[in-house]
Amino acid sequence: MQYMILIYEPENAYAGEAGQAALKDIVAKHMALAGELRAKGIQKDGAGLQDSTTATTVVTQGGRQTIHDGPFAETREHLGGYYLIDVPNLDEALAIAKRVPVMDGGKVEVRPLIVH
Amino acid sequence: MQRFGQAIAAARPRVVAALAARLRDLDLAEDAFADASATALVAWPAQPPRDAAAWLWRAALRRAIDAKRRAAVRGRAVLDPPEPEPTPEEALMAADQPIPDERLKLIFVCCHPALAPDSRAALTLKVVCGLSTDRLARAFFVAEPAMLQRITRAKKKIAAAGVPFEVPARDAWPERLEAVLSTLEIAYAQAYEDAALAARDVAPFATEVLRLSGLLVELMPDEPEVLGLAALVRFAEARRPARLDDLGAMVPPERQEAALWRADLIAEAAALLDRAAQAGRSGPRQILGAIHATHCARAEAGVTDWPTIAALYGVLAHLRPHPAVAVNRAVAIGEAEGAEAGLAELARIGPIEGWLPYQAALAHLSARAGRDEAARAAYDAALALGPPPAERLFLEQRLRAL
Repeated sequence: MQYMILIYEPENAYAGEAGQAALKDIVAKHMALAGELRAKGIQKDGAGLQDSTTATTVVTQGGRQTIHDGPFAETREHLGGYYLIDVPNLDEALAIAKRVPVMDGGKVEVRPLIVH
Repeated sequence: MQRFGQAIAAARPRVVAALAARLRDLDLAEDAFADASATALVAWPAQPPRDAAAWLWRAALRRAIDAKRRAAVRGRAVLDPPEPEPTPEEALMAADQPIPDERLKLIFVCCHPALAPDSRAALTLKVVCGLSTDRLARAFFVAEPAMLQRITRAKKKIAAAGVPFEVPARDAWPERLEAVLSTLEIAYAQAYEDAALAARDVAPFATEVLRLSGLLVELMPDEPEVLGLAALVRFAEARRPARLDDLGAMVPPERQEAALWRADLIAEAAALLDRAAQAGRSGPRQILGAIHATHCARAEAGVTDWPTIAALYGVLAHLRPHPAVAVNRAVAIGEAEGAEAGLAELARIGPIEGWLPYQAALAHLSARAGRDEAARAAYDAALALGPPPAERLFLEQRLRAL
């Protein structure tokens, strides 16, 4: 089954000098995990996303489309990146989700893809 | 007829688990078992089966395969099919084999941490024990459609999110076992709560939870917390006949008529707790079991050993820091060392004005300390918080006794 692993972290997790140092460390960990998962044929795709201040949202409502600055919802945590993996079941997906590096307060959501 | 009903109920966990493992579809497994049971009740009076479980397994598996075939014709997608998909012939051959024991896997599926705790408890009691949605709705104090939706959602998530039908791997074992134990605790808390409200109606629900805890012991005989939980449930159940007075008011353990306690369940529980202790790995359920054991020891000793109970609550407070544990500890200290010591302990928790256990404990300890004014205020506060009927009657009795 394919699962999307969505990484949510506090908006200010990487703020300041200490934050930037932590970011370097976390990115290195992501690289190591992604390298391992790709080598095993588990990871299908994945990327980190730029800051949510770079987001633009298209809203469709009442037959009209409008463009908005920012992410669709203003929350303290923002979507920072994702992994797309293919594993036999939820337990294996959760085991990988637990290994995804995050800052304190980070949340990792695991969602199965629709099977066609 | 009743004897056949009992045989069907006894066979249920094993047969439904084997069906679920083979079909990877909880609904189909339950429906097939229900169909087979209905057929059995017609067929068995004329021709009783040699092995009820084997009979039900064969009948249910055939029905399930028929149903799957019909569904396949309709083009319905069956999620998470077993690999490789057995042909109907293979499945029919399997029906003649002894039933595989898949009960542990079924329990781990129903108690998966990816499901909300309340859903786990309801789903386990529904699928493993066969309790009706209506009975579960009453036990969990929700409307039947809400209960049905809770169970349906949980089943859908198991199928759609790919919860595996497996016993968890060693590294995941502690977390998964914890999920099973907490599920059983929720189920039992519900049965206990239920009892205080409607003494006559509850027995079947509590009996099922008792049976389920026994099943866990059978399947995981070396897990001390599983043994501890089974002991705990038995100790608590043993005291059920003494929990309400003639007027339906709650009677606290230390005031219960010990002659009404069930000695058979107490002996069973004590043996389980001993077995747990031999493993040398303590845990919160074993400590809770030991607290119950100490209360029940009054049947022999004549008095309650409050210093031991207070000490056990002290240990429990470290393992499971929770205000309810702290309040119980304060009450036990009040009995062991005097009401003033109990009040001092309660003061350390700090006032939790809107919380019934706190107000009830404050009222009790104040009354014991001779502080009638404070006791009356706390009893009034407790009653204003809408306690369940049995506890309301108890609190009113104590208030009048001031």
